[in-house]
Amino acid sequence: MTAGAAPVATRERELDGAQVRRLTSRSAAARATTTLGTRLLDAWSTAASTAIALAMLGGWLASVRDTIGSRPPTPGSALPGPLTATVAAVVALAGLVAMLDRLGPVSASPAAAAWWLPLPASRQGLLRAELLRVAGTCAAVIALLSLPLAMTWTDRPSVGTVLLAVAGAAATAAGLVGIVALLQTRGATSRVAPGAGAVAVAVCAIATVAAVTAPLARSLGHLRPPHLPSGGVLWVPAAAVVAVLFLVLAERGLGRLEARTLRVAGSTAQFAAASVLSLDTRDLGRALAARRRRPVARRWRFRPVTRAWQAVAAADLLLLARSPWQLGQLVVATGVPVLAARTDGLDRLPPVVWGGLVVGWALAAVAAGHPARQASAAPGIDRLVPLSAAQVVAAHCVVPALLLCVVSGTSGLLIGAGSGSALAWAALGLAAVPAWTAAAVRGGYRPELDWSGPVMSTPMGAVPAGVGATLVQGLDVGILGSILAVVAVHLGGAPSWGLVVGQLAWALTLGAGAVALTVRRLGEPRT
Amino acid sequence: MGNAPESADVLLSAHAVAAGHGDVQVCAPVTLRVPAGRAVALVGPNGAGKSTVLQTLVGLLPALDGEVRFGNGPVDERQAAFRRAVAQVLDDEAFFPSLTAREHLLLTARGHGVVEPEETVISELDAFGLTDRADALPSALSSGQRRRLALAAAFVRPVRLLVLDEPERRLDVDMRRALAARLVRDRDRGLAVLLASHDAELVRTVADDILLIAENECRWLDPAAATDIVTGHLPP
Repeated sequence: MTAGAAPVATRERELDGAQVRRLTSRSAAARATTTLGTRLLDAWSTAASTAIALAMLGGWLASVRDTIGSRPPTPGSALPGPLTATVAAVVALAGLVAMLDRLGPVSASPAAAAWWLPLPASRQGLLRAELLRVAGTCAAVIALLSLPLAMTWTDRPSVGTVLLAVAGAAATAAGLVGIVALLQTRGATSRVAPGAGAVAVAVCAIATVAAVTAPLARSLGHLRPPHLPSGGVLWVPAAAVVAVLFLVLAERGLGRLEARTLRVAGSTAQFAAASVLSLDTRDLGRALAARRRRPVARRWRFRPVTRAWQAVAAADLLLLARSPWQLGQLVVATGVPVLAARTDGLDRLPPVVWGGLVVGWALAAVAAGHPARQASAAPGIDRLVPLSAAQVVAAHCVVPALLLCVVSGTSGLLIGAGSGSALAWAALGLAAVPAWTAAAVRGGYRPELDWSGPVMSTPMGAVPAGVGATLVQGLDVGILGSILAVVAVHLGGAPSWGLVVGQLAWALTLGAGAVALTVRRLGEPRT
Repeated sequence: MGNAPESADVLLSAHAVAAGHGDVQVCAPVTLRVPAGRAVALVGPNGAGKSTVLQTLVGLLPALDGEVRFGNGPVDERQAAFRRAVAQVLDDEAFFPSLTAREHLLLTARGHGVVEPEETVISELDAFGLTDRADALPSALSSGQRRRLALAAAFVRPVRLLVLDEPERRLDVDMRRALAARLVRDRDRGLAVLLASHDAELVRTVADDILLIAENECRWLDPAAATDIVTGHLPP
């Protein structure tokens, strides 16, 4: 190693944050292989695909609105539509806040953490562009998603009304980014995601209770429902000012962010992005899963466990008991079918009601399948117990079955509350449990996508053949296994006991077959 | 044997620092001083906590207990003065995929305000045997070349304290010896060095003080005993 004098440097020649970013991007761009024409074509393709998707969504929403308007009110519906829409909006925003907290929102990629953060450049200058990028992206996405809603909220929305609504949504999203980023700079994010989750669960639970409690529903119905503002209302500029204020406060605190915080958030964001690109939903779930921040308060001793299958079930129960997100998801899953079935307007559309049933039970199955996913990721744990593969998978079905009994039985009971057929609806929900239990476990042991095999060319790029079948594996069993419950919703009125028995037999048959297929695939050698 | 005495030019000092992750302490509390012109080596078996101690001493992990000071104030990697003075090559290599080896080093040199960045980068590329790979992207470099690139980045800018975590990893014997000679030369010119290593020859050549990191106690070693440590034999 040739000896040389130590480098000489001066403060005046140091690069500031913006200069560091510019130097990096200029160096990278110097060897970019894409031309301006290619990038314009990609932008056009993305814009066209987005416009088509939004137009289809808007058209569907408009037809739903027109259908609701053309049908007479259903007796027994309790919740006004705008209230349910508010609940949905609150849950969606809570999800956005939780995701922002998990991903930073300000972060540094591993390369930036290694090569930018150790420079003397002001951290505030280095990270300012990152904060603006996150705020801009969130605002743009929320604005796009709110566009079809704003255009179909009323029969004849004016351009001004739609623009105000979209701008208000964008300002709200940017403001949320500012708030979470400000908390990040103050080191006060430990409660953000749990708080957002608690708000979502509480709002959903209150709305669910209100849906079956007439007095509560009436009092909530007196609350002023949200409506699109007419021109000249100041709430949108006010929201924009508040958003700018929080973003400015957050920007001023960027220098307080520690390298390890930025590096962890950046690694999480990179992992999540890679999961999305590789269509690995389980890795995406792991990337966004909350980290345990507090030590375990209570240690279980498992005294009632005397057999191997009981040990598996007890471990699954313990894992779920220590997973607040999955528990919250189960509460929301109980409420979704009830809200769909007892909201004025939505209850006039059988597809919406059975769609709510399926979505709610699918959410519950995904939450209950958490132990199976963990077992699939660490197969050595399953091999510790003296059970065959079939017995282990069957043992992993115990806890999901119990939880799904609670969720689907409760949601069925609440749907039928006050109609004189609550027990029949509860029985119908319980009859679908075997199918959704199998869905939970089958989804947990779903195989990884095989990127080494044949790929198909799609507008999203190359994807492995059979990607659709792989991604929905698990939920397919649940949806097929609930077919008679869907029929009951379509027919309307109280479900007959014959239908309930038929649903149970069908769910048991399908569920047993799905579990058997899962066991057989686990026993196959990996190629 | 023992650590450097108290002096006015102590750059980094740690007093009863407990290093760990979360609430779990990984080794006994550490007390040390790293003055200018002196090299301190941390040795110990795998899993002893050397890397965790290094990360705590440079402010990348919070100390569970005790105090770490850089100069007259607490260690704070958010301070520009700390970043100007301290260079670290730990076990977290990452590179911009679209920047060549040369561009990575130029980014570091220019970022620190080096007066002649191109010449400095050329010199260090040559010193670390990367001249032929200067315009290669990180994906085209071998793991050893990427390691050398990370080490070169510590020398293309002014530095008062150099922190290295197992710098010998993925380096061949000749490069290890050259690195040891470079560290000795720069140490004699006033550079403070803090390193963790399993390489007996590197430790024996470079280190003035050797601290054994263990679960129950951390103690200063005689250089002869340190050679046994790095080869896996714990002293009684």
